[in-house]
Amino acid sequence: MAPRHAAISPLLALGLLALAGVILPLVTGDSYYLDVATTIVMNLLLTMSLRMQISTGQLNMAHISFMGIGAYTSALLAMRAGLSFWLTLWVGALVAAAFAVPIGAIALRLTGPYYFLITFAFSEVARLIFNNFFVGLLGGPSGLVEIPPPGPLLSVAFTGKLELYCLMLGLFLLGAAILVRLEYSRFGLAAGAIRQGELLSATLGVDVLRYKLTAFVLGSAMAGIAGAFFAHSHRVLHSSDFGLEPMVQLVIFTVIGGVGSIWGPVIGTVLMTVASELMRELRHYETLVFGLVLILTMLFLPDGLVSVPSRLVRALARTRARRGAIGVDVAT
Amino acid sequence: MSLSLLVQALLNGFGLAMAYVLVALGLTLIFSILEIINFAHGEFYMVGGFVAYLAFGVWGLPYLVALLGAIICVAAAGVIAERLVFRHLRGKTLNAFIVSLGLLWVMQAAAQLVFGVQDKSVPSPFSGIVRFSGVVISVERLAVTLAAAALIVALYAFLEHTRTGRAMRATAQDADAAALLGVNIEAVSALGFGVGCGLAGASGALLAPLFSVSPSMGALPVVKAFIIIIIGGMGSLPGAVLGGLLLGALEGVGTLFFSSAAVNLLGFLMVIAVLLLRPRGLLGGT
Amino acid sequence: MLLELRGVSRRFGGLVAVADLSMGVSPGTVHGLIGPNGAGKSTVFNLISGVLPPSSGDIHFKGERISGLGPAEICRRGIARTFQATTVFSEYTVLQNLMVAGQPRSNDGTLAALVCSARYRRGEIDAHSRARALLAPFRLDSVADRVVGTLPHRDQKALSVGMALATGAEMLLLDEPLAGLAAQETRDVMDLLRTLRRRGLTVLLVEHDMRAVMDLCDRITVLDHGTRIAEGTPTEVQANPAVVEAYLGAAVGSEAGG
Repeated sequence: MAPRHAAISPLLALGLLALAGVILPLVTGDSYYLDVATTIVMNLLLTMSLRMQISTGQLNMAHISFMGIGAYTSALLAMRAGLSFWLTLWVGALVAAAFAVPIGAIALRLTGPYYFLITFAFSEVARLIFNNFFVGLLGGPSGLVEIPPPGPLLSVAFTGKLELYCLMLGLFLLGAAILVRLEYSRFGLAAGAIRQGELLSATLGVDVLRYKLTAFVLGSAMAGIAGAFFAHSHRVLHSSDFGLEPMVQLVIFTVIGGVGSIWGPVIGTVLMTVASELMRELRHYETLVFGLVLILTMLFLPDGLVSVPSRLVRALARTRARRGAIGVDVAT
Repeated sequence: MSLSLLVQALLNGFGLAMAYVLVALGLTLIFSILEIINFAHGEFYMVGGFVAYLAFGVWGLPYLVALLGAIICVAAAGVIAERLVFRHLRGKTLNAFIVSLGLLWVMQAAAQLVFGVQDKSVPSPFSGIVRFSGVVISVERLAVTLAAAALIVALYAFLEHTRTGRAMRATAQDADAAALLGVNIEAVSALGFGVGCGLAGASGALLAPLFSVSPSMGALPVVKAFIIIIIGGMGSLPGAVLGGLLLGALEGVGTLFFSSAAVNLLGFLMVIAVLLLRPRGLLGGT
Repeated sequence: MLLELRGVSRRFGGLVAVADLSMGVSPGTVHGLIGPNGAGKSTVFNLISGVLPPSSGDIHFKGERISGLGPAEICRRGIARTFQATTVFSEYTVLQNLMVAGQPRSNDGTLAALVCSARYRRGEIDAHSRARALLAPFRLDSVADRVVGTLPHRDQKALSVGMALATGAEMLLLDEPLAGLAAQETRDVMDLLRTLRRRGLTVLLVEHDMRAVMDLCDRITVLDHGTRIAEGTPTEVQANPAVVEAYLGAAVGSEAGG
């Protein structure tokens, strides 16, 4: 019994998503497009977890840094301590979460644009550390290279495109299941309340800070998982992978899709990535067009692309009402 | 370590900081009037640089004309941007952020299409150096510092002593109250945006001979500007000046002892510390 | 005394909103807080509910010090409030609003929700039925599943009182619950408040409707410019010349609009 309304049953939507994910490799084959699909699925995990944080009223510009923490942790443990990816994956997530606790506790003392700015400052600190400090460990400006791929699991090797795609799909579906469960539970109800009115929520007994911190830490753990995957599938890490540009990309995917719905980031990520691929040839024009898309979407669709269906429905209802008022026979 | 070395380092830091202060002043002015953080601000700086490149470097007009032209063009661009796009986003942080990103991309891509990606150097309108008591400073840098200071004084005069300027300050303090007093908020917002961008454009034109121009030249100044206004206090103009001087001192002296990466790190740690200990900044209001 | 204010002051820069206020509210009573506009009544509510900390002085509830605590903690201890500008979650339905207010206070529910333990599920069912039970007293049955933003102001106001009640609070701070209501609706709300009093709830009421205040309240505290100028039963307060002077023309007994 979900306290939240859903247009489609969330379980059904998740199932459809899983189905689409499973069918996709049959369409793309073992080509470059499978790599694109893998990147999309990884970004889906990142944007859905970012959206969960936004749903509690916080735009966390350091999300990408926790991806980096997961990535470097997993890579270094595998390279220096010889541990198996199947272990370092989870350690990476835990370390990201461990860093998230104090950083979140500090950052969440602020709200609104100040929170945005302090998380941005943290992300730059992280990037500078990745790029210029502990060079012996982190690789400095040249980055970390020759990261081993995941070892075999149940005698299945994970060096090929298809296996990596399936791995990421599995991790994503796990994360998505958790996020869906939370969204349609007491957590999601409170998160939406906080977003709509923080003061009101507090005076009604909602522990606002605790919800925000939970969202921050959980989201960071998921970013850590994505990071660990990125490290071992990409095999190379560089500080620019965790800087402002990729973070901005995540924010755009999430907000363009629409933060009001848990599926908003899915629409945003998929459509924008596909569009970007299609326009790859155009280079500077691509950036120009994307910039215009951003501006126009925020001006005319402030709730994101996911609000298009409900807007159409409302527009249709208005036309019907008008027709009915004029006396035209409207057979329903 | 000799005193003159320290003074030299401070001067180097200040000189650059003054130009960044102009960018920061523009950013904080826009924030105080419209309550939005304009990430595209660095692109207006870049346009100023390119106008100076064209007017002075390519067409050979006098440098002063190029500078004034840059200010006017960029201010006009700012007003257009506000009227078309930003006026609808008052106070909406998330959406304004996305829109300013979009604008950033549009402007940068347009510059790349028109001018190409390569750096373009701009000849220096001044030559020579000035020496005094063991300290050396190029005339160019001195001119930049003085021009920036002059613009800051002009801004102050505008805000304190003209009716439009005072209306702008009233709107920045409390838009609703200002509206009740008969201030045309729409006009003030547009004008404020224009002035803010104009300042950034001036900075771009001033620094063009020192650093060459490129479509991506706006990235660094805007980050510095953010650091400055957070430390000085968002929405506070004296705060922007103070923050700029502090950052300039930090960078000038810091690079004597640490790597530039460490100095950058220190800058961001200062931002975090300020946001936690005194979120309104050194001179910020409520 | 259920609620006690001792020497409470609140300053904003140079402005003194509340000056050295001492007052007490007895359990199971309806206590009125009246005064001309700008007297500091809303500030007192903000101080009690933890939205603002006092500049000096103490606030005690059930014998324990609550001044300086945050709003969520104070709500958990048993004080709930409404706001003068009717505040609700406008994107949620009526039922969802009530469920947010009626959430179990044990924890944020994350782990429990994920594991979906039996206790969590029971908590959800309880919250749901408690929310449903509050619909009838506030005449919100017919609109239970309507999005609150689409409802008329009167329903939103009723909902905000219902939400305060849904928190399970022992004491309600109601900020102008009768503002903008028609005669019959006013009578309904007053009956509701009397019912709550019978059930043992305590109410601190800010209202401009003098007739309602004199009719309903057991005791009244009168504020002017942040200080207490009178306190006592309705009869005592009505006879107090300082009170009459403070209102200067808003004659006690008429309905001065908020």
